[in-house]
Amino acid sequence: MTHEEHHGEAGERSQEAAIVLPGPTFWPLVIAFGITLLLAGIVTHWAVGVVGLIVTFRAAVGWWHNVIPIEEHEEVPIDPELRPAPIQVEQRSVVRLRAGESGHRVRIPERIHPYSSGLWGGLAGGVAMAAIACLYGLVAQHSIWYPINLLAGVVIPGMGDQTVEQLRHFQMLPFFAALIGHGIISILVGIVYAVILPMFPKYAPFWAGILMPLFWSGLVATTLSVINPVMNERINWPWFVVAQLGFGLVGGYFIARSTSIRTMQTWTLAERAFVEAPGLHQPDEGKHG
Amino acid sequence: MAQDNVIAADALQMEREWKLPDRGTIGVIFLIITETALFTMFVAADLIYIGKSLTGPYPKDVLEMPIIATVCLLSSSGTIVFAEHALRRNDLGKFKIWWLVTILLGLYFLYATGAEWHKLIYEDHLTIATNLFGTTFYSLVGLHASHVVVGMTFLLIVFITTIFGFPIQTQERRVKFLSWYWHFFDWVWVIVFTVVYILPLKVF
Amino acid sequence: MASIDYPLEHPKAEALTPEFSFSESLYKWVATVDHKRLGLMYVVSALVFLVIAGIMASVIRMQLAFPLNHVVGPDTFNRLFTMHGTTMVFLVGMPMVAGFSVYLIPLMIGTRDMAFPRLNAFGFWIFLLGGCLLYFSYIGGGGLSGDGSAPDVGWFAYAPLTEKAFSRGAATDYWALGVLLSGVGSIVTALNVIATTFCMRCPGMTLSRMPMFVWVMLIDAWLVLVALPPLSAAQIMLELDRHLGANFFDTQAGGSAVLWQHLFWIFGHPEVYILIFPAFAILSEVIPVFSRKPLFGRPAMVGAVTAIGFISLGVWAHHMFAIGMTSWSNTFFAASSMLVGVPTGIKIFNWTATMYGGKLRMQTPLLFCIAFLLQFLVAGLTGIMLAVAPFDWQLHDSYFVVAHFHFTLVGGLVFGLFAGMYYWFPKVSGKMLDEKLGKWHFWLFCIGFNMTFLTLHFAGFLGMPRRIYTYYPGRGWDAINLIASLGVIPQAAGILCFVWNIIRSSLRGIPAGDDPWDAWTLEWATTSPPPEYNFEKLPVVRSSRPLWDLKHPQDPDWKYE
Ligand SMILES: [Cu+2]
Repeated sequence: MTHEEHHGEAGERSQEAAIVLPGPTFWPLVIAFGITLLLAGIVTHWAVGVVGLIVTFRAAVGWWHNVIPIEEHEEVPIDPELRPAPIQVEQRSVVRLRAGESGHRVRIPERIHPYSSGLWGGLAGGVAMAAIACLYGLVAQHSIWYPINLLAGVVIPGMGDQTVEQLRHFQMLPFFAALIGHGIISILVGIVYAVILPMFPKYAPFWAGILMPLFWSGLVATTLSVINPVMNERINWPWFVVAQLGFGLVGGYFIARSTSIRTMQTWTLAERAFVEAPGLHQPDEGKHG
Repeated sequence: MAQDNVIAADALQMEREWKLPDRGTIGVIFLIITETALFTMFVAADLIYIGKSLTGPYPKDVLEMPIIATVCLLSSSGTIVFAEHALRRNDLGKFKIWWLVTILLGLYFLYATGAEWHKLIYEDHLTIATNLFGTTFYSLVGLHASHVVVGMTFLLIVFITTIFGFPIQTQERRVKFLSWYWHFFDWVWVIVFTVVYILPLKVF
Repeated sequence: MASIDYPLEHPKAEALTPEFSFSESLYKWVATVDHKRLGLMYVVSALVFLVIAGIMASVIRMQLAFPLNHVVGPDTFNRLFTMHGTTMVFLVGMPMVAGFSVYLIPLMIGTRDMAFPRLNAFGFWIFLLGGCLLYFSYIGGGGLSGDGSAPDVGWFAYAPLTEKAFSRGAATDYWALGVLLSGVGSIVTALNVIATTFCMRCPGMTLSRMPMFVWVMLIDAWLVLVALPPLSAAQIMLELDRHLGANFFDTQAGGSAVLWQHLFWIFGHPEVYILIFPAFAILSEVIPVFSRKPLFGRPAMVGAVTAIGFISLGVWAHHMFAIGMTSWSNTFFAASSMLVGVPTGIKIFNWTATMYGGKLRMQTPLLFCIAFLLQFLVAGLTGIMLAVAPFDWQLHDSYFVVAHFHFTLVGGLVFGLFAGMYYWFPKVSGKMLDEKLGKWHFWLFCIGFNMTFLTLHFAGFLGMPRRIYTYYPGRGWDAINLIASLGVIPQAAGILCFVWNIIRSSLRGIPAGDDPWDAWTLEWATTSPPPEYNFEKLPVVRSSRPLWDLKHPQDPDWKYE
């Protein structure tokens, strides 16, 4: 029982003389009236309810005959007066901004670094930072364990009571605490770097290598007395800043030279939801590249 | 990105490939969703008020499990499927028989509810106003029964018109939707049965 | 259109007689199943109720303009704010939701009518008759005991005040039954909207290409479908209590007054989203067209509106912090209420981003949208403040709350609706609304609205409780109340401009043409007003902006989507 509809472009005219539409009927109105009376019977008088019941019943029968066996319909002639004007082609041409071209600000970042690059960059930066810290330990205290023990003070409360002499010696627990803590934070910061570096419109290496380590140093300088009192008492700030810069430059360099990938933002909603259906996907080679 | 060699899909082709769900299917599914929301509220009120009645009679004093009625209602969900199958095979004789069986099972359920209410009201003196048990019992069971009555009306109309020669096979789609409605209120009864009978009698 | 049972063959139609007698044109309206006529009737009846409830609000503000004022008595005052609230929510907001969806969705998705055209007519009439039943209470509300006329229990009709013992006469029954009926109308219309959007879209209109308006109204219909039944359930229980002596809300028989609050707000909170969604839908169409840019972040918009459609079902008890819930409940509902602010924020950002860098056309529809963005932002932020449970304890049931929800519903919804009316009036009538009168309307209404409701925030901070009928001088509320009441004058003047604009423009406005705004959705590909059958040939679409594709064949959207 399918009625073959004829489709065309929006506003296209039809050769038919008339179009079939559902026919008018007042039974919906009557049944609504009946139901209203039925409920009004509760608050007024039972007789009103009875009238409502009768009206509802009659209207239900009427509605039934509207749809069974076949839905009531009418022919509406196509009115030539009501023909929409043909849609005018816009004379001015449109220039689309290409992603990445100057003035294009809608889709930034257009390409991002993979998370794995953040992981490796973070590790590399962490190694560089540790190397500088250990160098500081050798120069200042003649021991590479000194900065490591200081760092462990974040998680091991007892470190604060140790003497400088104790801090110069290798200790098993603080070593692993510092190693794990430093590793995790380096990786996390590396991943954050990988995510935000592409968002800087300009001078990304400068931001990553110089400014962010300086901001970070400032943040640490203001909060260190709370986080790690041991380190706060003994820290050498110039060396600390240099170590941070080492992380920023090395980590940033590793992340920057990774192959970047395209974001999903140019995909349609369905594609992002990984819906596979005919007609949803426009062939588009660059998308998943 | 833009593909200059991609051309517009052809209108006729798009029309031919275009498939959408039946409006009746969607209509019945969402009708069931909205009815579920309604019933959920009554069930919730029922659960909140279990055991909160200040005066008797309490469920344990007067309520009996309507096992036979329940079995009848649930099996009518099966017989209506048989009727539908018969209709799809254009076997009108079988359709009428299974349809009639469905009606009889449903009518027995309604009769059992009526008898139960008669007993509760006249022998046990439990009305909707007696206590919270009466309030929740009559409203939830009554809400379900009223929906069964509506379904039963439609079942009867289908049966009677078919007996008088109405070509019901032309209405296969609508019969399908009626049977969905019937299934739904069969399975709502499972929840009502749990909340009204099993929980107060066996659990609390 | 697999499921429409029309005959395949049909004879040539007779030419219609051009002249109609009065009874014929009356028949055309009362017996119509045409979605455009029904949509129009919805919006017109909603506007009539808007004027009635607006007049009630004006009387309320007159009463509160001065301390110890006596414009109306306390009983009348209670009836006024009850009927004002009930009317605005159920007889203005809900039919606006229905009217806009029913008129526009079939046009926007390229079909001839709703999925269930007769049900559509039924939905309208049962809403209208429900409204009439509610208003009949002014005559019949005395009931058998002769006590009271219109309902006076507040728009949320808290139990046990509504029980037979405390609310004598029939007024409360009229409230419950009238609202129940119009609720049935909303539910069947929502069902219809869902079936229409799922089953009637023209070829090529996948869900991801559907206009944002249709998306928002689809989720709105979903919310109506799951949120209105709890209200109906509560009203059925209330009527069982009042007429059959059931004990649902009878605290003396062990019933719970808090149950009513839960049921009501399980409905009531989604309801505020149901009401604001048409404004969201309208903004998502108007802002792109008047900024000459496609909607920013379409997928995020769809995601946000869908998220609201689910999260908003789980926040209701933030209306009930004051009843003394467990601190776990307080924490849960405070957190979920703040969570729902996230997708709402996403929408605000996306509309703003759509305008950013666009070529703005500062015409009346866009002005209303911009005011919406600012005022709805205020409403959202005060909403987040109220979601903080301890803050809510301080300001619960104060004028701060009144100011908050009037900022959402007037500053948000009504401004959005006006934007929509200025935008689509040319389509509906074939005439442009006058731009000059429109600007008068906008500025008067905007200034008046902020005079009234911005100030009322401070009345709330200073401890003025809502629903009081008068107050003593010298509590610091006097000036605030006077300014708030004076704000009614510009608002009323703005509405008069609007009404006059509609009347004058319908009679001798500038002809609009098919597509006055150079827009992109399918409704602008028909004549204004559209013919009964909408489209001679049902259209096919290839992108979310089908008219853009046709206007720019060199650079169609479907190459990019
Ligand atoms: Cu809320």
